[in-house]
Amino acid sequence: MKLRYLVARLVKTVLVVIAVVLLSFFLIRLAPGDTATVMAGQAGFADEAFMKSLRAEYGLDQPVPVQLWKYLSTVAHGDLGSSFVRRQPVLDVILERLPNTLLLNGFALLVAIAGGVVMGMVAARKPGSAADAAMTMLSMVFYAMPQFWLGMMAMLVFSVWLGWLPPFGLETMGADYTGLARLGDIAVHMILPGVTLALFFLASYARLTRAAMIEVADQDFVKTARAKGLSERQVARRHILRNALMPLITYAGLQASILVGGSVLVENVFSWPGIGTLAYEAVQSRDNPLLLGILIVTATLVCLFNLITDIAYSIADPRVELS
Amino acid sequence: MLDRRAVLGGTGLLAFPAQAWSADKRRVINAMMTDEPAHLNYPLFNTRIMQEICGNINESLLLFDWQFKPHPNLARAFEMSPDGLTYTFHLRPDVLWHDGVKFTARDVAFSCGEILPQLNPRSRNAFSHIDRIETPDAYTAVFRLKEPFSAFLLSLMASSAPMMPAHIYQGTNFRTNPFNFKPIGTGPFKFAEWRRGQFIHLARNERYWRPGQPGMDGIYYRLCATPEQRLVAMESGAADFAMADDIDTVVNSRMVANPNVVARSDAFNGTGEISIMEMNQRRWPFSDRRFRAAFMHAIDRNFLVNAISFGLGKVATSPIPSNLPYYDEKAVVKYPFDPARARALLDEMGLKPKLGGVRHRFGIMMIPDGGGYWTRAAHYIKQAMSDVGLEVNLESTDWPTFSRRSGNWEFDVDCNSYGQYGDPAIGTARFFLSSNIRKGVPQSNIQGYNNPEVDELFHKAAVAVDPAEVQKHYSRLQYVLTRDVAMVWLYERKPMFFYNKRLKNVIMGPNGPADGFGATVLA
Amino acid sequence: MELLRRFLSRPTTLFGLAIFLLIVAIALGAPFLFSRGPFSIVGMPLLPPGAPGLLAGSDVIGRDMAVGLAYGARISLLVGIASTICAVGIGVLLGAVAGYYGGWVDDLLMRVTEFFQIIPSFVLLMVLVAFMQPSLESTVIGIALVTWPQVARVVRGEFLSLRAREFVQAARVLGMRDGAIIFTQILPNALPPIVVVSSMMVGSAILTESALAFLGLGDPNLLSWGSMIGSSRSAMWVAWWTTVLPGLCIVITVLALNFIGDGLNDALNPRGKR
Repeated sequence: MKLRYLVARLVKTVLVVIAVVLLSFFLIRLAPGDTATVMAGQAGFADEAFMKSLRAEYGLDQPVPVQLWKYLSTVAHGDLGSSFVRRQPVLDVILERLPNTLLLNGFALLVAIAGGVVMGMVAARKPGSAADAAMTMLSMVFYAMPQFWLGMMAMLVFSVWLGWLPPFGLETMGADYTGLARLGDIAVHMILPGVTLALFFLASYARLTRAAMIEVADQDFVKTARAKGLSERQVARRHILRNALMPLITYAGLQASILVGGSVLVENVFSWPGIGTLAYEAVQSRDNPLLLGILIVTATLVCLFNLITDIAYSIADPRVELS
Repeated sequence: MLDRRAVLGGTGLLAFPAQAWSADKRRVINAMMTDEPAHLNYPLFNTRIMQEICGNINESLLLFDWQFKPHPNLARAFEMSPDGLTYTFHLRPDVLWHDGVKFTARDVAFSCGEILPQLNPRSRNAFSHIDRIETPDAYTAVFRLKEPFSAFLLSLMASSAPMMPAHIYQGTNFRTNPFNFKPIGTGPFKFAEWRRGQFIHLARNERYWRPGQPGMDGIYYRLCATPEQRLVAMESGAADFAMADDIDTVVNSRMVANPNVVARSDAFNGTGEISIMEMNQRRWPFSDRRFRAAFMHAIDRNFLVNAISFGLGKVATSPIPSNLPYYDEKAVVKYPFDPARARALLDEMGLKPKLGGVRHRFGIMMIPDGGGYWTRAAHYIKQAMSDVGLEVNLESTDWPTFSRRSGNWEFDVDCNSYGQYGDPAIGTARFFLSSNIRKGVPQSNIQGYNNPEVDELFHKAAVAVDPAEVQKHYSRLQYVLTRDVAMVWLYERKPMFFYNKRLKNVIMGPNGPADGFGATVLA
Repeated sequence: MELLRRFLSRPTTLFGLAIFLLIVAIALGAPFLFSRGPFSIVGMPLLPPGAPGLLAGSDVIGRDMAVGLAYGARISLLVGIASTICAVGIGVLLGAVAGYYGGWVDDLLMRVTEFFQIIPSFVLLMVLVAFMQPSLESTVIGIALVTWPQVARVVRGEFLSLRAREFVQAARVLGMRDGAIIFTQILPNALPPIVVVSSMMVGSAILTESALAFLGLGDPNLLSWGSMIGSSRSAMWVAWWTTVLPGLCIVITVLALNFIGDGLNDALNPRGKR
């Protein structure tokens, strides 16, 4: 049964990706000017003859269905075409940057979950107390903050004023560190953007944990555990937390699925070289093949993450069936 | 924290660890690029980034000092015939291209006769005066001109005439030649590696002809996309140079206050850049001189220099920068900040305020600098215009759109700048000559300004031999152009060049980086 | 009345309402509060708050920050409300039709909303706005186009459950046309969750607009809080107020709207989770 489910989901992923390609292909054609205009502008002149030759060279003068078909067939072979602006294959550019985004988001996910769960547990211990109210208020404030502004505030305090943390980039420019030194350098650079990204979700995780724990605390098996004589902390840790896992997984899955869109702003503020900044650069430079490639890759990743989340769901709670 | 902040703010230092480079790394220059050039064919794309990089790779025949007097470079000696029609250059016999081939007169003839005029609009104009180039022997190049050209030697300055290898380019399609991505030159540094998205690395030219140079082992141009990143790179020592618009003028005070950084404002004197606005004079009301005059009167250019450029620059009063020999303050017609006068001129034209106080609406095409000082200047201009009843629509573009629209005359007004490059005949003329009205070519006479007197004056000044006569023509030109408000000249730019104190002999002449960093050594 | 009492019972809701009304008042009253517009240059740039005549200091061109903040409120509120109205309009229409008719229409809508969930919405928005050329209209349309699925899903859910109810059967028996049933019978009963979703959407639309303006994809002729922050990237290093103050305005506005949304949620869903 599981296998059929997996196959069905994978087929669905392929269909979604094709839909993404179609939509993006036509959307991008809405833009005034085309790739030839971009390249001519780069070269410094724009006379018609030169543009015509460019278009012929890159197959841009073919009818649309032909271009679309050509593109779909190259994608099917795993080739996402070439970025004319950067003169590199699209897939290479994306794969260069994707790990950086995954790293940042992974780190942020960990921080958000860890911090959120702790905060949620503290708040749920005594619902209605001052600590609880303060925590709720704090969550709401973070939720209302523009992410990019939060990032800039963090930069203002920790880089501009205190000078404790480096504000931009993945690693120190030109240092060419290797091994452990490099890991340390990257880790230090990851702190500001990672925590900024995490804070937004931390608030949500805290609320989720708190709500889940309060709800579950009343249920029968917990009362049974208490009756058995287990300490509060043991009850909390073992039973309540485990059952609060479900909404956490859902939310984590949700966070993973807004991977790219979610980190565009933070990556932009901190000049983190990830997919988010790549998408922005592609939009700014009208780099259509790259844009198309990014949309395809991220759609595929999101589908995969959703699949993983659903499977994790069913493992965490055997009552859930995959269908 | 407040105290520390005040201290930090005062000294402009960042407290996080400055770079502790190893001995090897210290002998390398760390420079930055704002974005990646499309290629490294110097004549084809003569932007500032290209000058900064290719100035180290490709050299010119002559080197110029702070007074713009020529000195030997690749040409060890040169003379001009008394009638100004023949220039003879005796080349150094010991110069090698980076691939080991000897540099000869054939390369000079090819560069000035073929590749430069074909690819570079500035060269095309300047070298149109050449009748033919003779190479009597391997190390002598003789230029025969059609008529005397007073700016001829200046047209060989730095970025205007880099020598290109004939054995690489002759007979090939210049635009698609693969050496556009791995350039060959004669300069102190040679191309080593281009890692896309990261850096361009130039390595020391061991066989460089100038004894004792280059002083450093190599240069890295690292991609550093935003002005704030470049600021941090300079403050932490990760970068040694910040050139021109690398850092936003907003944070000038921080850079100037930094004890580890030297600030030079004269590194780009050779370019003589003026910030301007061009109007599509084919369209009404831009075709009316009174409108253009009103436009000038409406702008407080002192505010532009002091508040928008944070003090860097000088109000422009002429198409020629004030530090060049031909500048004539007495000849120019001045347009002081006078909104009342602007309104009077517009009334006189028949552009009376209509509903809501708006006399006329038009668009200004902005330079895509991502919110930097060009954008701020445009916002100020919009404000200034609304004070006299003109409503401006700011049009944000990207570089390709900007090039396309300006080249194809699809704009009302745009923001731009142009460089003098030593002589009005080289830098200024191309924007006012009717012969340079070419559709599809940006950085030409896109305004459509057409004045036969101006055409003739530029021609006469270019061919005159007696300096007094040249001055007479340029004075008259400055009068006519300013009287006509042929263009809106805003201010003379003084782009800053910041470098780390650990290096010296960085800026050796008015062309700054375009002359290469061969002389740079550790301090 | 009971509804109103429940709505006003929480102190945070009252607080949110008060703040929101204050902001609306400032936005509407900006031309009367200040003698010059937000683009007027009043002096040298980067003067700190408290400088003579400048409550909030001057920005990087020398404009009065206080005036800019007040006028920025107009843009935020305008975009937030307009895009929400558009999104709700589209979402209600499509969600109602899908939920009422079910079958393949519903399937199609579900596929489309799923699709929107999979594509990174902010990237899609950037592409839309960039290609439509950045302007107020393109911002509103763009935000509406990426957020309508949220409304559609809620509406669809409501219609699915409501269409089987007796009053709908009765209306059919009486010969009422489908359109009339949808708009006069079911929709009024589906309103509560729509209202709650809409109120939250205004807040997030304001955040989205500020993000677009920050990235330079907003209308270049307008001054909004996001664009003020965006133009302060370098200035922040020498003048903290150019970044801090506009951001605080956004936080306060969105917080107030979220408090109101919570209050509405409480009022309209008394049996809902707390």
